[in-house]
Amino acid sequence: MKTASTLQTRLLKEICFKILIGCLSGLLLAPLLFILFYIVSKGFVALNWDFFTQLPKPVGMTGGGVANAIVGSLILVGVAAIVSVPFGVMVGLYLSENQAGRFSEVVRLCVDTLQGVPSIVMGIIAYTWIVLPMGSFSALSGGLALAFMMVPLITKSTEETLKLIPNSLKEASIALGVPYHTTLLKVILPAGRSGIMSGVLLGLARVSGETAPLLFTAFGNPFMSTSLFKSVNALPLIIFNYATSPYQDWQTIAWGASLLLVAFVLGLSILSKVVIKK
Amino acid sequence: MKKTSTVTPVLEVKDFNLHIGEHHILNDINMSFYRKKVTAIMGPSGCGKTTLVRTINRLNDSIEGIKFEGEMSLYQKNLLDMNPILVRRKVGMVFQRPNPFPTMSIYENVLAGYLLNGISLTKEEKEHIVEDSLEKAALWDEVKDNLHRKGTFLSGGQQQRLCIARALAMNPKILLLDEPTSALDPKSTARIEELIIELRSKVTIIMVTHNIGQASRVSDYTAFLYMGKLIEYDTTEKLFTNPQHAQTEAYLTRKFG
Repeated sequence: MKTASTLQTRLLKEICFKILIGCLSGLLLAPLLFILFYIVSKGFVALNWDFFTQLPKPVGMTGGGVANAIVGSLILVGVAAIVSVPFGVMVGLYLSENQAGRFSEVVRLCVDTLQGVPSIVMGIIAYTWIVLPMGSFSALSGGLALAFMMVPLITKSTEETLKLIPNSLKEASIALGVPYHTTLLKVILPAGRSGIMSGVLLGLARVSGETAPLLFTAFGNPFMSTSLFKSVNALPLIIFNYATSPYQDWQTIAWGASLLLVAFVLGLSILSKVVIKK
Repeated sequence: MKKTSTVTPVLEVKDFNLHIGEHHILNDINMSFYRKKVTAIMGPSGCGKTTLVRTINRLNDSIEGIKFEGEMSLYQKNLLDMNPILVRRKVGMVFQRPNPFPTMSIYENVLAGYLLNGISLTKEEKEHIVEDSLEKAALWDEVKDNLHRKGTFLSGGQQQRLCIARALAMNPKILLLDEPTSALDPKSTARIEELIIELRSKVTIIMVTHNIGQASRVSDYTAFLYMGKLIEYDTTEKLFTNPQHAQTEAYLTRKFG
């Protein structure tokens, strides 16, 4: 009789626990859904053909769009990717190949620290080291600031991915008389391709919404600019500037830009999941 | 052994010693491997048999604290002094677990030694090598219609034969098999054993096994290694029917190991 009752309490506990974790998981969805709903309801009205193709209009004129910010964001993220992907992947490769060793420990610590550097600090460093010597705000400085935010993300995801690749694969290649570096480039990296890609996409999603490092690097620009050496606008910057403005139509554009940015980040996140399934 | 000593061996191991740190892994190994024969190296776990075979492919080079003395002559050239990359192109290796390249198709896997080394081949050469190697590995009939599918779709036994084809594609002087069936089911094991017997006429094979039955079924010569020492080495028939050493006999009768 005693055993039966303990069994029942156990079952009851188990059910309670299942309900608890289920509820918490459901609750986690709520903020995201709420944010999405709110942004869509506020920003959807701003989306039209002009929004994507026009430049911002001066105060008082209706219409206008964020074409320069879309182009600017793509340039910034593009520069960040071009710099950080090869850099981050190579460092990740080094760390997975040299898991022990003092130098690896130091590098790993640096990567962790770099990841913890606040984005505004990354911005001011880029400002001091790139903007000031070059004499102007630029897409390049903004892109580099974002790149150094991406490097640790890519390094870590690359290292984790490559660690899971069985050593037997490397031996298979080495045993065929393939030199070590060729083995890494042609066997190990391709084998980890989907994991690395997924890390890159998540890194892009992460930095495409960054505002702080851009405030004093890319700076913002009301006109269309595709030059690496001039200031450019970016979606987070236009949101920052327009949302804090007193004008109704600018605020609407800020909501539209927010919706666009969230959709972009969501798209990248979903893509990274698709990539890893392949 | 006296009868065969007049034939030039493909590989001659002379006074070979191997240390890793403080451990003396292989102790004064002297043995010869003969052309187009299957030599089985057997012994209990940890006796050094895998280390010995991996040294022939120079796969042990990167182990920290490794030191070796003595000679391993591949056609009278000491392979321990050769560029490891050149050694590996002459000595093929198949591992315990099948390890086809997951990003490559069956076709590319067979050609991997050429593709990864940047050796260019014409389409006819490629097709010839693929068909020929898969034929030799007794896999052609099973995969000829799916050559462009990923090698990882195959069963474990088929994957292992694909790895054998990949090694044979490079036309090695010696094919090393390191417990090639230890990860396979009995049916696939039987298939690989048949294959080894078929391959005997085409290539010199050195295989590691800790399956006594397997050594007796497929090999011409058998070596018994124990605690890093070569206890006995003779034709398989002689070693199994009339072992000269008490330890060999004890191992064969499964008194230890």
